[in-house]
Amino acid sequence: MPSDAESPAASTAPAKAAQVEYLHALRGRSDIVGPALRRVLTDTVRAWLIGLFEAADPGPGISLVTLGGYGRGEPAPGSDLDLVLVHDGRAPDVGTVADRLWYPIWDAGISLDHSVRTVDEALRVAASDLRAALGLLDVHHAAGDKDLSARLRERTLAQWRSGARKRLPDLQEAGEERGRMAGDVAFLLEPDLKSARGGLRDVQILRALAAAWVTDAPPAPVQEAHTLLLDVRGELHKRTRGRDKLLLQEQDSVAEALGYADADALAHAVADAGRTIAWAYDSAWRRAGGVLSQQGWGRRFGRTRRPNRRPLAEGVVEQNGEVVLARNADPAADPVLVLRAAEASARADMPLAPHTLDRLAAESAPMPVPWPDAARDAFVGLLAAGPPAVGALEALDHAGLLVRLLPEWRRVRSKPQRNAVHRFTVDRHLLETAAEAADRTRRVDRPDLLLLAALFHDIGKGWPGDHVTAGEKVVARIGPRLGLPPEDASVLTTLAAQHLLLPEVATRRDLDDPATIRQVAGLVGSRGVLDLLHALTEADALATGPAAWGPWKARLVGELVDRVGAWLGGAPPPKPPALTADQEALLSAPAAGDPHLLVRVGEDELVHVTVAAPDQMGLLTAISGVVALHRLDVRRATAYSTSGRALSELVVSTPYGRLPDEAKMRSDLVAALGGSLSLDQRLREREESVSLPRRPGLASPPPEVLFDDSAEDATVVEVRAQDGIGVLHRIVGGLAGHGLDVRTAIVSTLGADVVDAFYVRGRDGGPLPAGAERERVAHAVLAALE
Amino acid sequence: MRLVTAVIKPFKLEDVKTALESFGVQGLTISEVQGYGRQRGHTEIYRGAEYKVDFVPKVKVEVLVDDDDTADLIEVLVKSAQTGKIGDGKVWSVPVEAVVRVRTGERGVDAI
Repeated sequence: MPSDAESPAASTAPAKAAQVEYLHALRGRSDIVGPALRRVLTDTVRAWLIGLFEAADPGPGISLVTLGGYGRGEPAPGSDLDLVLVHDGRAPDVGTVADRLWYPIWDAGISLDHSVRTVDEALRVAASDLRAALGLLDVHHAAGDKDLSARLRERTLAQWRSGARKRLPDLQEAGEERGRMAGDVAFLLEPDLKSARGGLRDVQILRALAAAWVTDAPPAPVQEAHTLLLDVRGELHKRTRGRDKLLLQEQDSVAEALGYADADALAHAVADAGRTIAWAYDSAWRRAGGVLSQQGWGRRFGRTRRPNRRPLAEGVVEQNGEVVLARNADPAADPVLVLRAAEASARADMPLAPHTLDRLAAESAPMPVPWPDAARDAFVGLLAAGPPAVGALEALDHAGLLVRLLPEWRRVRSKPQRNAVHRFTVDRHLLETAAEAADRTRRVDRPDLLLLAALFHDIGKGWPGDHVTAGEKVVARIGPRLGLPPEDASVLTTLAAQHLLLPEVATRRDLDDPATIRQVAGLVGSRGVLDLLHALTEADALATGPAAWGPWKARLVGELVDRVGAWLGGAPPPKPPALTADQEALLSAPAAGDPHLLVRVGEDELVHVTVAAPDQMGLLTAISGVVALHRLDVRRATAYSTSGRALSELVVSTPYGRLPDEAKMRSDLVAALGGSLSLDQRLREREESVSLPRRPGLASPPPEVLFDDSAEDATVVEVRAQDGIGVLHRIVGGLAGHGLDVRTAIVSTLGADVVDAFYVRGRDGGPLPAGAERERVAHAVLAALE
Repeated sequence: MRLVTAVIKPFKLEDVKTALESFGVQGLTISEVQGYGRQRGHTEIYRGAEYKVDFVPKVKVEVLVDDDDTADLIEVLVKSAQTGKIGDGKVWSVPVEAVVRVRTGERGVDAI
């Protein structure tokens, strides 16, 4: 930078105007904060620029405009000064005028972004450079030819409106990329106030959308959130020479300057502001997509004029890329609808439509306590969707529905944690842990409990005192309220109470000492809980931050789990319950009426399909196929055979709300067993007609097949897979195709996953030999599931 | 001056830290490391289950010390890290040419 003596402007303008000294001094002024700070900065700079412009002695046909923070009247002490010297192309010596302006600004130590352009040149640049186009939208006349500045402003806006069709998709893409890089203001403990999702840049984009006439101006809550972030940024700039990332070390002093009780209160307010802006931002883009498609402009948005409705779940349909309620859905009579809608939104990775959320919030009946099974299934299914569940839960939260379902959530919502290891607020950490856990559901025999434990493991951070002790008590209340049976609720509480056990012991205790292993085994209790705890530990650490997990700790924890697992031994596979009186009666019904098929609605409000028939190869394959053909979702099933007769009971839900036709099911079963109905072909056709497009990268974990030898006369084949149309039929078909006789089946659907145990005998009537034969069976099942 | 480095079992870190504090050590550096010594390839049987031990997680402790204190410090480290079983680790020391405290610019023993 040249010295004053070398600067061409040195003789015409004071190098250190009083205004400049004042500008620099503002950084140290604790009495000027918030809007007053922005006003003083703006007024001082504008007055200074007028002085500089006059001293530069410009002729006619020249004006000076400000862009960026100063253009909007929203500068922070470290903001750049974005200036354009506009000329009409006839003004002589405009370069000299520019020198006389720019040098004093450089010499004053103020960061300058400058250009010299005619109106046409400025518009050409804006047409090819999105950032320049956005900047010009904030143009503000500072000095000189007012008409020239006004012309630039009018033509900029006109060009922006007419080019919206082409520019907005790129603008949306740029915003998404920025969000991926910078994260969320709402959830990061050290957010970037300008660039992160829900930050100041998003408000600028909202204004740009309004300027393009595709959305309304940002509503009042967004403006309040924006003001809050500007206030915080102003104080942050005073302390950091223009940084936008609100680091933990600055939060105390910024909080004090702005009158917050403490740094946590500040972080909470910033997170809430980020949430409000991010929500408005997403909604605005959806509206923009709708407006553009109505105008026949949808390029990226891929909308069609005619609404295309496809069923996603009972009472929930997809319409134009959003999840909405079916015409006959009634939130007031169907308290589970809200969770089914959220699950469908997460599993299809499509947002819930804003009006659907409003309607659910206004009309939803309170959830009965304890929750019905269907509610818990939908909630677990939602969590099992992994990362898309975060958006669906955030949507519920925005509408106030999440806190209504889980009042405890209020305590951790936007709650900061002052901890060097953590990246996220408590609520976001819990959601991220659940998303990580969704990747590990095949490693455990109770994916539902893993997902719930992941969501609630740190809920105690909303209460005073040790979070593990507090969390244990809170989770002990939540489990029964969600309708978990006492033994499952107890496992959930153990998982919350012991979620730090494995990493603490693995890194601080002697793993060679049998007492260590014995103690952990005593606290965990069973192999199943140990596997759950192991998966939870990994998910928790990965969701915490890069410093919390790595091969070093993974190795130590893995070794501890292996040793404790060996100590505990394997868990016995599940056994089917004893026959009920109804089932006994059906089994002893006269053989002349075979197959007997009975459909009834149980106390659990699910449909029970019971079949008694002579035991034969392929019976369970046929029954499960017919059930799938009738559009029924198998939630639980047991099947066993005795004295040549087989009894199967399938507990099913009706995704499309219709009760199955008993007579039609029976005739289909007879046809399938007789070979006149090809179930495989019909199911394939059905699947092709209803399968929903899922975005790539959202695949659930691959299925797993495990073998267990603890039964005496059979081998237990356990299959863990994602639920879907006809999954049971395909698995059983795979086993039967391999010549295996399924003696007993215990099928559980846990949210979006199935964990099915089959007691099978080989071709010789005995258990499956270990080795290659089992590999072939596993291969056959996996192939059937593909 | 010398730099004393110890590679120890992770669960012994607390004991080692306490012992070093009692000895008067003002500061130390810790890192999580993985490696192997003589136990490489050794397979352990634990309650009927086999574990192949390859790279083993350890903690590395580094302490700067005056020449005269080196032998005593090594003794303290060895005693506090010892379990008597394979994989207890190693302690070694190397001469250090220069030490500067960044904040004050102090050099040599004053900077320790």
